Amino acid sequence: MLGILKALKTTLQAAARKPVTVQYPKEKKELPHRSRGFPVLLWDFDKDEPFCTGCQVCARACPVDCITVTMKDNPKKAAGKSKRKKIVEHFYLDYARCMRCDICVEVCNFDAIVMNNTWEGVELSTYDRQDLVLDKDALLKQSRTGELKDPFREPMGVAHSGWSPKEEEEEKAEETEASKEGDEG
Amino acid sequence: MATIDYTIPGEPDLETLDIHVNVGPQHPATHGVFRMVLTIDGELVTDLDPVIGYMHRGNEKLPENCDYRQVIGYHDRTDYLAQFNTEHCYVEAVEKLTGIKPTERSEYIRVILAELNRITSHLMFIGAFSSDVGIFGTAFMYAFRDREFVQDFFEEITGERMMFNYFRPGGVAWDVPDDFRERCTQVIDRINSGLKDLEGMIVDNEIVLARCRGLSRVSTEDAINWGLSGPLLRATGLEYDLRKAEPYSIYDRFEFDIPTGKDGDVYDRVIMRLEEMKQSVRIVEQALADMPDGPIMAEGMKRTLRVPEGEVYMRVEGPRGEYGVYLVGTGTDKPYRHKVRAASFCNLSALRAMSIGNYVSDVIVILGSIDIVLGEVDR
Amino acid sequence: MFLLADNVWLDALLRMAIVAVLVPVGVILLTWVERKVIGRLQQRLGPMHVGPYGLLQGIADTIKLITKEDVRPDSADRPTFELAVFVIVVPVFMAAVAVPFTSDIFVRNMALGLFYFLAVSSLGIVGFVMAGWGSDNKYALLGGVRAGAQLISYEIPLILSAVAVAMLGQSLSLYTLVQLQDDTPFIAYQPLAFVIFIIAGLAELYRQPFDIPVAESEVVGGPTVEYSGIRWSMFQMSEFVSLVLISALASLLFLGGWTWPFGADNATWLQVCLMVAKTSAFILFFMWMRVTVPRLRIDQLMALCWQILLPFAFLQIIINGLVLVYDWPSWTLTILSGAAAIAMGTVLHQVARRSGVLYQTTGASQRVGSVL
Repeated sequence: MLGILKALKTTLQAAARKPVTVQYPKEKKELPHRSRGFPVLLWDFDKDEPFCTGCQVCARACPVDCITVTMKDNPKKAAGKSKRKKIVEHFYLDYARCMRCDICVEVCNFDAIVMNNTWEGVELSTYDRQDLVLDKDALLKQSRTGELKDPFREPMGVAHSGWSPKEEEEEKAEETEASKEGDEG
Repeated sequence: MATIDYTIPGEPDLETLDIHVNVGPQHPATHGVFRMVLTIDGELVTDLDPVIGYMHRGNEKLPENCDYRQVIGYHDRTDYLAQFNTEHCYVEAVEKLTGIKPTERSEYIRVILAELNRITSHLMFIGAFSSDVGIFGTAFMYAFRDREFVQDFFEEITGERMMFNYFRPGGVAWDVPDDFRERCTQVIDRINSGLKDLEGMIVDNEIVLARCRGLSRVSTEDAINWGLSGPLLRATGLEYDLRKAEPYSIYDRFEFDIPTGKDGDVYDRVIMRLEEMKQSVRIVEQALADMPDGPIMAEGMKRTLRVPEGEVYMRVEGPRGEYGVYLVGTGTDKPYRHKVRAASFCNLSALRAMSIGNYVSDVIVILGSIDIVLGEVDR
Repeated sequence: MFLLADNVWLDALLRMAIVAVLVPVGVILLTWVERKVIGRLQQRLGPMHVGPYGLLQGIADTIKLITKEDVRPDSADRPTFELAVFVIVVPVFMAAVAVPFTSDIFVRNMALGLFYFLAVSSLGIVGFVMAGWGSDNKYALLGGVRAGAQLISYEIPLILSAVAVAMLGQSLSLYTLVQLQDDTPFIAYQPLAFVIFIIAGLAELYRQPFDIPVAESEVVGGPTVEYSGIRWSMFQMSEFVSLVLISALASLLFLGGWTWPFGADNATWLQVCLMVAKTSAFILFFMWMRVTVPRLRIDQLMALCWQILLPFAFLQIIINGLVLVYDWPSWTLTILSGAAAIAMGTVLHQVARRSGVLYQTTGASQRVGSVL
């Protein structure tokens, strides 16, 4: 019977401690800085346009194909107000398919997409699954209104190993030259 | 020589029928969508027919369309309770095939996180097992209270509580935060104090002893013949742990013991997993003390990883047993064949031999003690 | 005993009406208490959302259960399925008639109160077997058969330990037994009977460690698995009312009810306080056991009853008989009974430590289920 008495004592000791419950939604735990929500786009307040140029790298890198992006010529470049030649035209992200793997953030060359590390990034219940496909304005809303104060922007992945976009362009230039020579030769 | 006797006691004068009871896909005790068709004679189980496949998601075929970074997310979801261990296995397989060597700091980070994930997996096991044995959720709550603490720590490092996608071929995705050492020490203290609660509830409890001691004894010879691995094999008395037998990563630098059981019965398996948690804490403490500074991703990694032709089989010691990844590369950036050897699948195949001749209540307890994860079994 | 009305029949009707109304309200409150107590023992808060501190949770659950659709399997045996609920609930309320809560508050003061209580509460067992058979579900059948076996077996040590107390008090009337305990409670003379009563009472309530008929992780709900809505809430109500009644009986028989330690003639409010305190102590103890202890398997349960509890219950009766016949002083009873209680604890301890090795085998041809 001693083992059962020991178990009874353990339970009684636990009853004397403070309960560990956090009563959501009245009290919410503080989310850490790196917490991943769902991806959102960032707004460039200097030039008054999104950072995203529509280059489709994130759409190609996504494991579940949840991003659809199209690109157009930037009217602000023609007017001389911005340096970006192209800007995003349509951007659809299906939150129902996204698996929050963070690869789109890692591959973006322009730091235009980040994970939403606020509570709004995870409180997303809707009545209709179609409402989970967000378009460009809905994705930019968090950044434009200033709710997304401090997204997680450490250098990621291959950036640590000394890779930079210039090197890939040089590689591509070498490859096209090599294939041209192959064609000719 | 089989040690199981399949005869049914006595010659009945009455003609009786054996009932088929379907412990169906929806059941509180089967740890996922797993179906067993039991044939029972009164309370004795005379036959058991396991049916799997309810959770098959194409985890081996779909990566053939994904490049090497996208596959890491699939491994998170195979064994969804020990994600760092599975990611570790896959990432080491790619590194073996391509010849990349990960940096020192990232190796230490990988080992610390993998061992902490082993602890969370074993805590989940203790919680689920005590619910099977009949404790009305108390040990479950205690286990999860400590597991939440560790998961909060993971959230501070990687951003996610469960599906991390953090290891990369060549290192890890980003560096750990600055207060890593203090937080890790806090986590270890919390685990040590939480283990005392769980031990008080389970280890000396007479009713747990009466239900688990001597149940479904497995000899070492039978265990090797049936292909068991992990705590099931070590409970029979054989000291075989892949971290010591074929050391991978930097496990050969740490000192830790391998707990073994005596009889291979259910009680030994449970006690062993409690002891393994303490050994994992030892490894984490040693790794924390030695962790160097430095880069966390190997030098000169290309943007798209192209793997040369060849094949590799890499195996690690997951919390459930031997988890292996077989990769065939053909020079492109997508794997040609990606096979996962899951520990729970091979352990589960021995369920029938282990449970014939026991009562219905015992079968539930035996299934709980094998510690299966349906994501691994069905992939 | 005062009359609520002049006519005896009207008085009886009024008392029964009070019991029939107060008891379900008490049960609703008790579900809240149980969830809060279990929550605290598991280091979490219980219900907090519905009402202040979750006090209205019992009412919310009741409203939900009453408004649920009454689902019945098509192939269920209709009379058996539907009558099973009544066969379980009605005897529990009939047993509440015989229990006095203070010296003035009761429904009937029967001279055979203890006998009536134990006899009537055995009728509910038939209801479980009916529910198990009538549901046309193999899980229900397994649970119903287990429930029948367990409840019938554990009636015997329960009755024998109550008989031992009745031998001491030389009466079967609960009122008289309590009046006799005004200076020392019977627990001081009969520790063995107390322990046996608590264990057998836990088994009669099918709570941990004896809840194998309704084990959630094996036979999901046992005989209650096919019931929904108000029928299922009847099962829960009968469980909670039995809990209150067994706790009340334990405090009446062993702890002195409303008399100890303040004597037999105290004010009604003090009697009510004493009874409430003692009954609550037992209820909290049963809840504490529920959260802590795992469940025994059916053959271990039956072995515990027939091979350990029953011989010790007979031993207690023999000790009582010897002391009464040879007119030994009362303290010999304490010593003998206490020694027997310690012996029973030692036997249980040894059996549990050795039991796995003794009779668990991997072959079906060995005899299982014995602890000795």
